[in-house]
Amino acid sequence: MIRNYFKIAWRNLTKYRFYSFVNILGLFAGITFALLIGAYIWSEWQVNRQLKNTSQQCILTTVSTDPNVGYELATFGPIAKRLKEDYPDLVTNYYRYDGITSVVSKGDKHLRENLQVGDSTVLAMYGFETLHGNAGTALRDPFSVVITEDIAIKYFGKTNIIGETISIQNFSGGNHAFTVSAVLRNLSRNTVTNLARDYPNSFFIPMSAMTYFGRLGQDSWDNMFIASFVELKKGISIKDIEKPIQQLVQQNVNPALQKIITVKPVLLTDYYLRQNQGLVKRMLYILSFAGFFILLMAIVNFINIAISRSGSRMKEIGIRKVLGSMRRQLIFQFLTESFILVAAATFLAFLTYPWFRPFFNKMVGADIPVLSGFPFYFIAFPITLIVVVGIAAGLYPAFVLSAMKSVDSLKGKLKTAKEKIVFRKSLVGFQFSIALIVLISAVVVSNQVSYFFSQSLGYNKEFVVSSQVPRDWSPAGVQRMATIRNEFARMPEVSNVSLSYEIPDGNNGGQRGIYKAGNDSTQAIAAQLLTSDGYYPSTYEIAMKAGAFLETNGIIDSSKIVLNEKAIKALGWNDNREAIGQQVKIYGDNTFYTIQGVTSDFHFNTMQQQVAPIIFLSLNRTNIYRFLSFKIKPGNISASIEAIQKKWAVLLPGNSFEYVFMDDTLKKLYASELQLKKAAYSATFLALIIALLGVLGLVSLSIHQRIKEIGIRKVLGASLPDIIGLFLKEFTTVVIIAGLIACPVGWYLMKSWLDGYAYRVSVGLQPFIISIALVAVTTMILVALQVIKAAKNNVVQNLKTE
Amino acid sequence: MLDLKGIYKWVNTGNNRIFLLKDVDLSVKEGEFISIMGPSGSGKSTLLNVIGMLDEFDQGEYNFLHESVHKMKEKQRSALYKQYIGFVFQAYHLIDELTVYENIETPLIYQNIKTPERKAMVGDILDRFNIVGKKDLFPTQLSGGQQQLVGIARALIARPKLILADEPTGNLNSKQGDEIMGWFKELNNEGVTIIQVTHSEKNASYGSRIINLLDGMVVA
Repeated sequence: MIRNYFKIAWRNLTKYRFYSFVNILGLFAGITFALLIGAYIWSEWQVNRQLKNTSQQCILTTVSTDPNVGYELATFGPIAKRLKEDYPDLVTNYYRYDGITSVVSKGDKHLRENLQVGDSTVLAMYGFETLHGNAGTALRDPFSVVITEDIAIKYFGKTNIIGETISIQNFSGGNHAFTVSAVLRNLSRNTVTNLARDYPNSFFIPMSAMTYFGRLGQDSWDNMFIASFVELKKGISIKDIEKPIQQLVQQNVNPALQKIITVKPVLLTDYYLRQNQGLVKRMLYILSFAGFFILLMAIVNFINIAISRSGSRMKEIGIRKVLGSMRRQLIFQFLTESFILVAAATFLAFLTYPWFRPFFNKMVGADIPVLSGFPFYFIAFPITLIVVVGIAAGLYPAFVLSAMKSVDSLKGKLKTAKEKIVFRKSLVGFQFSIALIVLISAVVVSNQVSYFFSQSLGYNKEFVVSSQVPRDWSPAGVQRMATIRNEFARMPEVSNVSLSYEIPDGNNGGQRGIYKAGNDSTQAIAAQLLTSDGYYPSTYEIAMKAGAFLETNGIIDSSKIVLNEKAIKALGWNDNREAIGQQVKIYGDNTFYTIQGVTSDFHFNTMQQQVAPIIFLSLNRTNIYRFLSFKIKPGNISASIEAIQKKWAVLLPGNSFEYVFMDDTLKKLYASELQLKKAAYSATFLALIIALLGVLGLVSLSIHQRIKEIGIRKVLGASLPDIIGLFLKEFTTVVIIAGLIACPVGWYLMKSWLDGYAYRVSVGLQPFIISIALVAVTTMILVALQVIKAAKNNVVQNLKTE
Repeated sequence: MLDLKGIYKWVNTGNNRIFLLKDVDLSVKEGEFISIMGPSGSGKSTLLNVIGMLDEFDQGEYNFLHESVHKMKEKQRSALYKQYIGFVFQAYHLIDELTVYENIETPLIYQNIKTPERKAMVGDILDRFNIVGKKDLFPTQLSGGQQQLVGIARALIARPKLILADEPTGNLNSKQGDEIMGWFKELNNEGVTIIQVTHSEKNASYGSRIINLLDGMVVA
């Protein structure tokens, strides 16, 4: 019986190749998208789950009521160690590290790398697999280093390099050889080695090397910047260690700080999905919805075409009923057909997965696994997909078709099918609505993104490149960098250079409370602190509204301060000039700062946020710096970069010039918006394709049914446009109604999305007009093309067809 | 074998009620060969469909092999006709996607008959109608007469007690028509009850009794 169903289904599919093709194509698009999204969700879900005892691993985070105090991803140095020592019943292991960035050299390779100087427990605690070397003793000697497979290949070209050395720079410019004691298999994504986004760590150095890097204090309660992880004993929950943590903090931290800071343990498995204000989670939700709706559209397509074709299947259904088929058997037969189609589409989707994977990776900015990267039990996934989609798509047509009365079907009465025309049109209307909503969203998102990049930032990003410099955070180091800066500035290719701690990428050194000298600290306003030399505004072309910027040379008075307009207003001055020469204080600092100048406002953060009050302090005060920013003269940019690179090698030997254009820095800043734009484009493309497939199916059937009418009308003198108009009329109403549904929904969705941005485009009419016009025109073309094909046939042929 | 008493069937168009069948009484005994005749629109096919339980009626009683069809649910009715009735149509109504063999086999599949038995039964009937050589062809590859022969073979495969034929020769030329009627005669001689709808006096003469219909009523 089943074999019989398969045979019939197969013959039907091959006989009506066109419909089968349209059906499979639609399902294929939907399933491929669902598959990619499923893979993405799975890979995001897998983060941290490859770690040993993953359900027991947690990170200690800092929750602070004062933005100036504490750092979310780190905590007090000793706390993790003390937890294990004092509460062996609760905590079985701990790992702490100090994350630093320094220059690693091997031969003529000098590259800036992220290093973890941490406890030797890391390899055993998380079960990182070693390719070479002994995990147990690897991190015993102070000048040993453990690296990953990729890094070994990058520096040595092979992985079996135990006993070889690489040289790592410390912050006073010294170099020391580190012996490679173990090579790890490449790490799966996890929070331990990839705590901050975009800064993966692949070098592990023992804690005993802290002296070499001049970063003491992992065992001091004053150090709040140690990333800390603990492993809970089996059966112990996160709640159980909250009290002990509280006690340790109470015993060791000064009461003032206790009021501000809470140390909060979070399971690593939860941590990843929730980080960055739930960015990962939000992306997962958006994509799941998109995937669901696209798949739904594909299913709707299937239903639509199946019902459209009921006319041609009716005779068969009638005969089968007369021959004694039970309704149940007919339902099974039709379900078999939908299973075969869905299975074919799923198979195709898997076949093309490797091909679509790179596109999707680019779209979501992730790395979804290759097919062989999935565990074997994932074979259940396509099977479930086939069953669920097969039933979802096949059930309705199966019931409708099998419910027709046998006599009616035998006579080939199309009555039943015609009654369904309203239903089918609403299905197509549904598809149009979804396609329109997605399209409208895509237009608005892309408007907003281009707004980000076209809007005046308050500074000039053109021809600015920045590069990190080796740090020597001392007055002598600052002096040396100032000299180097002057050397660069003398180059003919360069119009200006600035040394600073921040570049306008949203990452600043922290918030500071600032208040008028006459007021008390409770009236402080929060401002972002930027530390730079005197060339910052000239390099970034930030306009001065009053006074002058920080001094550039000679004896620098580091108690001078520069604010932006926003800060001046927030502090209560109405006129920028009024503020010049006035004194302000910074919370927690006894110095009286004199306002030297006022800059115009500029976007240091993303445009999601309002321009914030900003304080500029001279780097001579804090002796910290990270970046050199170059303003290059217009002309041959690559030649200029090359010239800078040569100069760099002379001035900063042993350091590579890893430059980034400001444009790229901004792209990173707006990464999630750019991702959303790409995702919206792809979703639009798919939704449109599927909706048009739906139209295609409907039109071709409608033509098929009215072929005789076309013939008669032609005999009576109708022209081709007359006939095309006849069919267009059918779809005009559908598009109009879909538009009426889609516009408010799209408007509402986009309005609420835009509300999250301080600087935004207004939705306007343009996205709606563009979207409806696009859908209407493509539909018209599609309809016209098919009608022309049919109408060009010989009239006699048309009339003969019965 | 079957008994119709006071069968009415109507459709309502606006305020008018149009009768398709009006007070039809008919009883058929086993082994009869009945021809229903009458002009177009007189209700011949409707009556046949009612007898075949493919169509419902609005009023009256219908007893088939001592069972009250008018009291049955659709499911029971279909179980009943599946077992006892075979249909032959003017337009053959073969399933285009199935081969000759598969078309004939289909009713047996629906009666859950096992494969080996099915093979034997289909083989027998192919043999009997001399169409063994055509068993792997599709209906569209056959002539009208051959298609109708397959239709009859299919109607007979489940060994029904009653065959209902709706103008079985209507689409055939006279030579093919004679051949088909010959088969019916032979089947009737073997004891199968046959009711056919026909326009042709010649075909009607193969039967044992003629029922004339006019405007939905039996006119002696």
